[in-house]
Amino acid sequence: MTMLKVVSPRVGEPGTEFVPDEHTNVEALIAGGFIVDDTRTKKPAKNTNTNEEI
Amino acid sequence: MATSTYLPSPGVKINNVDVSDQCQGAVITQVQTALNSSSFGSTDSFYVTGMTNHTIELEMYMSYAATETYATLAALVGTQTTVILATTATALTTPSATAPKFTLTNCYLEELPLINATMGELSVISLTFQGGTLTTATS
Repeated sequence: MTMLKVVSPRVGEPGTEFVPDEHTNVEALIAGGFIVDDTRTKKPAKNTNTNEEI
Repeated sequence: MATSTYLPSPGVKINNVDVSDQCQGAVITQVQTALNSSSFGSTDSFYVTGMTNHTIELEMYMSYAATETYATLAALVGTQTTVILATTATALTTPSATAPKFTLTNCYLEELPLINATMGELSVISLTFQGGTLTTATS
């Protein structure tokens, strides 16, 4: 799931999640440096399954 | 003497970006295109309403710094976007009957002046957003 984060105070409080409405051009906001797509910076969950066969 | 006047200091948002501090002129015009419905036997002209064609015209100081005018607009040329014009900066978030907020959704930006330079003057660009759906918020 996409996680957008505010960078510029022009669109909200920096560091908070940015929730666009259906008419917002998200690509333009990312291109302009107003928000970032934080999805890729999140670490994947650890695999806690210990029952895997080797 | 006018009993009530309006000293303008509107709030302006383009694609969710607050650009009020870069804006020095703003006009929003509600347009209902007139269709001539005059007919034989009359020497008068009559009109009925056709499609809407609202416009928002903005005068903005040009800046190429991060998250300023150029960064806001560069990716919007040739696309539909949303522009909000409120009678006061406060009305962007809390409009009222005496401080309404106008939103033009899916309006089209056809042109962006990339450089408008005159010796000794601050660079100002003119923008026109046209079309889209106009809504008015008073609460």
